[in-house]
Amino acid sequence: MALQTPAVVMDNGTGYSKLGFAGNDSPSFVFPTAIATRGGPAGGGGSGSGRPAVANKPSFLTGGAGPGGHLSAKRGTEDLDFYIGDEALAAAAGPGYGIHYPIRHGQIENWDHMERFWSNSIFKYLRVEPEDHYFLLTEPPLNPPENRENTAEIMFESFNCAGLYIAVQAVLALAASWTSSKVQDRSLTGTVIDSGEGVTHVIPVAEGYVIGSSIKSIPIAGRDITHFVQSLLRDRGEPDSSLKTAERIKEEFCYVCPDIVKEFARFDREPDRFAKHTVNYPNGKSAIVDVGYERFLAPEIFFNPEIYSSDFLTPLPTIVDTVIQTSPIDVRRGLYKNIVLSGGSTLYKDFGRRLQRDIRHLVDARIRASELRSGGAKSGGLEVQVITHKRQRHGPWFGGSLLGQTPEFRSYCHTKAEYDEIGPSIVRRFALLGGPGST
Amino acid sequence: MLLLDYQNVLIESLLKDRFSGAPPVAIDQVVSDFDGVTFHISTPESKSKILISISVRCYKELVQYGAQAVLEREYGPYIVDPESGYDFSLLVDLENLPEGQEARDDLIRRISLLKRNAMAAPFEQAFDEFEALQEEASKYTSESAPQGVKEGGEVRAIHYREQEAIYIKASHDRVTVIFSTIFSDETDRVFGKVFLQEFVDARKRAIQNAPQVLFRNDRPLELSHIPGLPSGKGEIGYITFVLFPRHLQRKRREEVISHIQTFRDYFHYHIKASKAYIHSRMRRRTADFLQVLRRARPEAEEKERKTASGRSFRVQ
Amino acid sequence: MSQSLRPYLQCVRSSVTAALSLSNFASQVAERHNFPEIEAGYSPEALLNPLTVARNDHERVFIEPSINSVRISIKIKQADEIEHILVHKFTRFLTQRAEAFFILRRKPVKGYDISFLITNFHTEEMLKHKLVDFIIQFMEEVDKEISEMKLFLNARARFVAESFLTPFD
Repeated sequence: MALQTPAVVMDNGTGYSKLGFAGNDSPSFVFPTAIATRGGPAGGGGSGSGRPAVANKPSFLTGGAGPGGHLSAKRGTEDLDFYIGDEALAAAAGPGYGIHYPIRHGQIENWDHMERFWSNSIFKYLRVEPEDHYFLLTEPPLNPPENRENTAEIMFESFNCAGLYIAVQAVLALAASWTSSKVQDRSLTGTVIDSGEGVTHVIPVAEGYVIGSSIKSIPIAGRDITHFVQSLLRDRGEPDSSLKTAERIKEEFCYVCPDIVKEFARFDREPDRFAKHTVNYPNGKSAIVDVGYERFLAPEIFFNPEIYSSDFLTPLPTIVDTVIQTSPIDVRRGLYKNIVLSGGSTLYKDFGRRLQRDIRHLVDARIRASELRSGGAKSGGLEVQVITHKRQRHGPWFGGSLLGQTPEFRSYCHTKAEYDEIGPSIVRRFALLGGPGST
Repeated sequence: MLLLDYQNVLIESLLKDRFSGAPPVAIDQVVSDFDGVTFHISTPESKSKILISISVRCYKELVQYGAQAVLEREYGPYIVDPESGYDFSLLVDLENLPEGQEARDDLIRRISLLKRNAMAAPFEQAFDEFEALQEEASKYTSESAPQGVKEGGEVRAIHYREQEAIYIKASHDRVTVIFSTIFSDETDRVFGKVFLQEFVDARKRAIQNAPQVLFRNDRPLELSHIPGLPSGKGEIGYITFVLFPRHLQRKRREEVISHIQTFRDYFHYHIKASKAYIHSRMRRRTADFLQVLRRARPEAEEKERKTASGRSFRVQ
Repeated sequence: MSQSLRPYLQCVRSSVTAALSLSNFASQVAERHNFPEIEAGYSPEALLNPLTVARNDHERVFIEPSINSVRISIKIKQADEIEHILVHKFTRFLTQRAEAFFILRRKPVKGYDISFLITNFHTEEMLKHKLVDFIIQFMEEVDKEISEMKLFLNARARFVAESFLTPFD
């Protein structure tokens, strides 16, 4: 391969898939990880259950002579009749197609659908010949190695891709933070706070390896904030309190305040803090929605969950502190120093600042207490730093793009030839990309 | 998805988005397309001026076969000096767009077909040559025709991939397009053979008016004079499309060129899609076998257990 | 089912059933070890005579019994290159998932496409006749699956070719 083709970076998440080429600063395509196939939605999970019961289905159910036999199998092309991404949503709205989400909780559940999803991503959207490109895929932390092997099997055997690297999303999110001016050394040690649509994870990473035993999840994420905004709008009886409006308001107006009590007072002092949001309907009409305290109250549910939920009450800063405290003692300093945000629900203004302040309070309190107990010993202090950077929204993808364009990236990949030689188990191990020793 | 799109979806959606009047933003994206084509979409000067550059590995050959003229015809006023590292560049000024939605859509369509248009030049040239030769040949009977007319024009070679090429040759009654293709994988080679056999047979069976398709592993007669061509081995194949005059009519030309260009990628895409389907069958079958094997395990006997206090419960 | 298939499968069934009389047998060469004698091959006296059941040149089953384990290797019919590739892909796919198929050997015996290794531990845990059923059903279905896949491939190829050529029409 004389011509160096850019590596393809694919970050398939539960909600959205981010696809693009290494070296770019944003993914070329971001669309829902959804696939619409002929026939109704799948009943249970399991492999292949989404495939319609038409010709070419193995005839084991009918014990040999299946209905129609081989004749109807002749034109079996229903496996080509599907849509992915936004087109899938559109197709599912009409008759004849059922929608499926092949990824659940970050892990691939339906390999048949995922394989076709990838096939369409590569050939229709990215338009690349996989034989010419190296691929960088992502996986959630604690992904079982069997899933990796299945992924490799598809990428190498179906698509013959030239090379493959599978990286952990949290590690890539750390790499993405290297663009921030606050980061001086490019270390892969840090705590990643990944908050997307469905769930928020706090993941400690030490030198590129996830500390699996200390990961914690919080059932508060983007969707909950939207619901909270919606409920506030409803309570006030605004003319439009649809989920879509709530989402727009969340994205456009919300920010994190240092102190809610003071912020309430400030709103009363400065009436121009109340904003107005205009909703335009497709039929030409429009409605004006007042935007009030939800501007700062909505993201506040991360810090004071009791205002939203009655069963989950631990604030995010406490969770982060617990995660770091349960990690091995020799990496804690690094984890406190490099807390990296990633995902759409971390984009609120001053989110990082507030988080840093709250965590620092917790840490300082602990240090003071232990100083007191030790009777006069002085602590050297502990640096707490939350990194906010421009690429937070697609953090893992951007980290992948950053690492995928490095000249040594290819040497970290497993190639098709190696796969043919050793088999799928080869992907159980990957050299650490961007780890010590590389630029 | 059955047929591949001719246009680049990313360029199309990006321009559509930009043209819709959304506030201009900085763009800097390197995008690949099939056959090692690379696009660079950027806004180097100001956010409203979009520069689209293309790099094709066989651009020199394309220019030799008249690519410049074709591109000038398609893009005329938008052409600028090629960006360094790229072969051809277009500059679209968002503040200076054509009036009317239709004209804009047309511009988007044309730009998203940039790769297709760049690759179209040798085809167009060959088609023109065919017309000239046809004209010429009509003056003679088949015996008396001079050598040049009988044999047809030169072979145009486009080495659009590292080891693969398209050869185009015009004669007085046909245009022959030959794809050479490589199968890097044994499975692909076998699947490919099945597919190509059907391509060859399709004309006999169903679609009488389709171009004739021939497939062979050694080099075809048309290419016998080109030195250094690999031949004979299993992994390389030559697929010949013979386009007859009915395919070469002026009004169908554009469609035919677009379509035939996608052949190689279409072909490889479907080999892969079949493998994906076979995978899903195998998954299904494996699950079935496992079920049979599971039947061999005797069901755990339900033992009644008692707690210390004498109450019994069932093991779930 | 074709004429010769039934007796062939019947023969395999009886042979495998007969071979499956296994008992626990501790290793004679290494203390406190217990391994499948057929794989280890250290004690010739623990091995029994291997047996081949062949239907024709392309299809045969090789049964290697021993005191505590049986190795059953199957050569699947491969009439042409396509079937060869499909068989290869399928067996590879299965062995990739050998973990779940307790009795599947990760590597086939040389000259065969797929091998099973049944030990006395398997027969103690699982019903012997059902294991035999599994082997027989596997043999039946594998042929069917391969020919169906081949049919699919041909059908798909035809469809693909026609769809590509139709716009020229």
